[in-house]
Amino acid sequence: MKKFFTTIKNIFSIEELRTRIFYTLGFLMVFRLGSFIVLPGVDPSKLNEASSGFFGMINTFLGGAFSRASIFALGIMPYISASIIVQLLSVAVPKFQKLQKEGESGRKKINQITRVLTILITMAQASGYLAATIPAEAITLTNQSFFVASSMIILTSGTMFCMWLGEKITEKGIGNGISMLIMIGIISRFPLAIIEEVGTRGTQGLLLLVLEFLALFFIVMSVVLLTTAVRRIPVQYARQVVGGGKKQLGKGQRSYIPLKVNSANVMPIIFAQSLMFLPSLLSSVWAEENDTARYIAQAFADFTSLEYNITFAILIILFTFFYTAITINPKQMADDMKRNNAFIPGVKPGEQTSDYISAVLDKITLPGALFLAIVAVLPAFASAAGVSMNFAQFYGGTSLIIMVGVILDTLQQIESYLLMRHYEGMMKSGSIKGRSQNVPAF
Amino acid sequence: MVTYPFLMVKFPVFTHIKSRLKADFIQTNLKIYEKDLLAIREAENTLKEKSVAEFREIAINFRKAFHLLGETPQTLIKAFALVSEAAFRSLGMRPFDEQIIAALSMSKRQIAEMQTGEGKTLTATMPVYYCALFGKGAHVLTFNDYLAKRDANWMQPVYNLLGISVGYIQESMTTEEKKVAYNQDITYLTAKEAGFDYLRSLLVTDKDEDFRRNPYFALIDEVDSILIDESRIPLVIAGEADNFLEGDFYNISNAVGKLQPETDFQKDEYELNIFLTESGVKKIEAAIGCADIFDGNNKLLLTQVNLALHAHFLLSKDVDYIIRNGAIELVGEFTGRVMDKRRWPFGLQAAIEAKENLRIQQEGKILGKATLQRFVNTYPHLCGMTGTAKSAAEELFTFYNLPVTIIPPHKPNIRIDAEDKIFSNKEIKLQNIITEIRKVNAKGRPILVGTQTVEESEYFAKELIKKGISCEILNAKNDEKEAEIIAKAGMMNAVTISTNMAGRGTDIKLGGELGVEKEKIIQLGGLYVIGTNRFESQRIDDQLRGRAGRQGDPGSSQFFVSLEDDLLQKFGINELVPKKVWAQDCLSGVNLTIVNREVDRVQRIIEGKNFEIKKTLLKYGAFIEMQRQIIYQKRNEFLEGTFESLLKKNEPYSFDRLAQKVGKKALQLAEKQISIAIIDKYWADYLEEIDQLKQEIHLVAIGGLNPFREFQKSTTSLFERYLVEINNQIVEKLGKAEITASGVNLEKEGLKRPTSTWTYLINDNPFGDKLEMILMGNSNIGFAAGAAIWWPLLALYFMVKKWMKK
Repeated sequence: MKKFFTTIKNIFSIEELRTRIFYTLGFLMVFRLGSFIVLPGVDPSKLNEASSGFFGMINTFLGGAFSRASIFALGIMPYISASIIVQLLSVAVPKFQKLQKEGESGRKKINQITRVLTILITMAQASGYLAATIPAEAITLTNQSFFVASSMIILTSGTMFCMWLGEKITEKGIGNGISMLIMIGIISRFPLAIIEEVGTRGTQGLLLLVLEFLALFFIVMSVVLLTTAVRRIPVQYARQVVGGGKKQLGKGQRSYIPLKVNSANVMPIIFAQSLMFLPSLLSSVWAEENDTARYIAQAFADFTSLEYNITFAILIILFTFFYTAITINPKQMADDMKRNNAFIPGVKPGEQTSDYISAVLDKITLPGALFLAIVAVLPAFASAAGVSMNFAQFYGGTSLIIMVGVILDTLQQIESYLLMRHYEGMMKSGSIKGRSQNVPAF
Repeated sequence: MVTYPFLMVKFPVFTHIKSRLKADFIQTNLKIYEKDLLAIREAENTLKEKSVAEFREIAINFRKAFHLLGETPQTLIKAFALVSEAAFRSLGMRPFDEQIIAALSMSKRQIAEMQTGEGKTLTATMPVYYCALFGKGAHVLTFNDYLAKRDANWMQPVYNLLGISVGYIQESMTTEEKKVAYNQDITYLTAKEAGFDYLRSLLVTDKDEDFRRNPYFALIDEVDSILIDESRIPLVIAGEADNFLEGDFYNISNAVGKLQPETDFQKDEYELNIFLTESGVKKIEAAIGCADIFDGNNKLLLTQVNLALHAHFLLSKDVDYIIRNGAIELVGEFTGRVMDKRRWPFGLQAAIEAKENLRIQQEGKILGKATLQRFVNTYPHLCGMTGTAKSAAEELFTFYNLPVTIIPPHKPNIRIDAEDKIFSNKEIKLQNIITEIRKVNAKGRPILVGTQTVEESEYFAKELIKKGISCEILNAKNDEKEAEIIAKAGMMNAVTISTNMAGRGTDIKLGGELGVEKEKIIQLGGLYVIGTNRFESQRIDDQLRGRAGRQGDPGSSQFFVSLEDDLLQKFGINELVPKKVWAQDCLSGVNLTIVNREVDRVQRIIEGKNFEIKKTLLKYGAFIEMQRQIIYQKRNEFLEGTFESLLKKNEPYSFDRLAQKVGKKALQLAEKQISIAIIDKYWADYLEEIDQLKQEIHLVAIGGLNPFREFQKSTTSLFERYLVEINNQIVEKLGKAEITASGVNLEKEGLKRPTSTWTYLINDNPFGDKLEMILMGNSNIGFAAGAAIWWPLLALYFMVKKWMKK
């Protein structure tokens, strides 16, 4: 505990780190504030609560701004889609490929294109958003077309502003801006959920409450494990003769390729989630005359039901394998290694190496997928066990995984600063330092 | 009021972002210097009437006053006026307004871009004199030894008249001679030698041995060449070590030499990497009698095979290196000259020596290493000048915080830069160049042909002689004649074929030194520069062009490009040209705007990439630099005798026993000697390990980790282990050592210091690391989650990617 406090003290004693943290907090505050400002002409009391499913998921990522019809209702989502489209173009269109290779100037141009595209996408999404989520009775303005026009402009500026906030956090603050914005959206429900939970349990349920928090603690710890677990494949380099250092102290720390146990991250859960509304939707069509259909419709409408969760888990496992297969390419890894004259001791380069990596990958993906599936269904179990809906969300699922991921990454960045500080502290006298180089730490 | 930011500004480590926002790294507004310029001219006028004796007295009094009172707003004006007048009195040259403005910009910590022939050497005297007044030594870092000596001698009368001493350093000098030169007010020397001396000074075992002063101010001549082209190349100081190469390198080299391309080995698209195929592996295993070369125990053998492959099939004689006096000499990619003292990293150098059947030279153990970039940054005050800085301005600003000021030439530049002539194939291009040379030479106009490789320069010389045109050839093989050849290159009828080394620092004067038939040459159009290829950097192209049109002389430049040139093929520019045009215009040169534009773009791509790579390397380097400073500080305590005894702290009992036996003084001396020897030994080992780690760390990116963070973590734990080990070793060795009044016999204690050290440079990393991978950041989960919501889009992306690969 004492170490914890000295670390906190250290963090705030580094001027640069301190300013960065304050910047981040400031930007996040502005972001949160904005997501409470309702679009002009909307009566918030007449809005529908966002349903679960697709919109519900977006709403979680945006910290409720979506269902609140706020000026940040679309958040950075259009920017993300624009980025994917630009990525797509730079794979498919030669002109974009070249731009990407052009270093700094090319990157600037690509950023510019992404921004313009973001505006276009936001416009399109904004009109869809207004039509789909804001009921006519919530609109207080009589001039419908004026409302649509003004709202579209406001939503678009809101998104551009969020994007700017994200960029500023990356540049002047700490952590990755986009990730921070999404995380703050998710985490914003946490305080309220705790208060609610404590309120409902009251003094009688104290023991239960303690147990709930203990369970939460262990779940968080195991998600940390899941996020950071890697399998190290030893690799040797046969490219440069390293001198007489036969008695190197670092002999033990050979090079390795760290294969992540959960390389698919939250992706499979989100994929699965976006499909889970299908069964109930489809079966509800026939629910009138067919008993089985009615049964399915009922079972899948309740996210705590056994049927729902088993299907969900199976989908996640399938998607994990699918996504890992798409994104991780052992062949390319083997090829990269061959080109760099690196090899796994005892394994021949080329096909043998890629087979070896595939085999290892298969071995670690199954436990990873199972674990991911368990984490994904935990909130349902918690809810079934009596934890309130809002609080149960933090017992796993995308929310928890994203939070853990972002926090771990940010902590690592802070750690880097602390390390620099450590060295600077060791260089007490400035006399030999000379002119500092104009280099950012990261 | 005049302010002197360059003498006051402090540079905290993290001003990066702030300064970037304000960045205005190219300055063209010279109006700001007008007031100072007028004041200097005015002050100069009052000096003009003074007699020689009076002038000397004024100069000496000024120096004294400066010493007492320090810098005031008027000192810069007065100093510049004094130099200007002194230059006129002693050399008969009065600086032009442009030169004074350049000098003013340099005194504001900037880089002055001045065209060739605008008198950079004289310009330098002003800021250098001013900074010498601070009494902490002012250095002028030149491009080579010849220029250091020439410029120091040339400008000596100016400095002498002002009562300032000047010296120069040559590589061949002894420590004593160097010490004298370093203690002058102003020292001219090459950046490389200054860097080596810096490394040497870090290794002294006694304070008196250090012959340098602390770096204070440096003016860098040809600043782009030193701070950009050569900045990454590590300077190395080495001492002898055991030979650790196993097996017979010649044998391996022979076996590798017999391999067939494609079937036995493959190269990657940019020809940076080379690797064996399965059939190659089998052949090698058979040839050297090895069952499985990929067994972990055969790593060294495999390394040697890979190096031999690299030496045989990626590097060629007369392009990348030449053989002179039985030794390999490297040829610079940009300059085309022999790179003095340059070596490839060990192993590769040996592999080339084995390939060429030369004796494999001893390499030695690296004792200290620093890039020019790091060394130059030890100067608190820097400025520089060059002819080609503009296109590198962003880089110079990012790495050195030096903005570029563009100084217009004294007389307007009237050189004509023709658009590139483009040919469909190499053969036709070469024929056309020769025809062009014949045509122009027939009228007597001097021609300079800039080629890319030694090989190419020899080809042209041969062809021209066949056609009965006499020409001079200047390349890495005869670079000692450089000054002589360049002196004649501007004469009537001269044809000079040169790799792109021609004249850093020396000008091509029309009609030679004496200006023979200068008028006639001017009428013909001045010097005609032909570039046989576009280079990878626009700066290098500009340098070649800049050989013509000096000081308002006429001149012209013309580049010849073919669709088969390496630069165009590597980046697929040739494919952009419609096939129709290929066939159609294969015989006459055509201007294809699209090709020109693409060449420019490719140059930008290459420079952008290099910039990124340098930034990354700097980041890694800066981290190790902090550790070095910690070690150095520790070492310095021992060196100065201000240390706390480690033995006393750790083993007080044996400290007391030893102190009683040999005396406290001897014990302290012994601890100093042993500690310094151990620190040096372990630091050298550490450097080796770090080098290895730096090469390999990018592999973690495959697993989605951030290589730099992993590097920080790994090196930190390693560094701490070394610190502990150093302490333990010192205590252990000291406890067992045989101590006399003169300390210990290091050799007896197994801590022999290398009896001889030598210096060299490691050639730019020839292995073409997958640095993009190092650049690759960590995956970021928030974005991923957001992206997952748009999974149909994502799915499309992966499908397209897969499809494109096919």
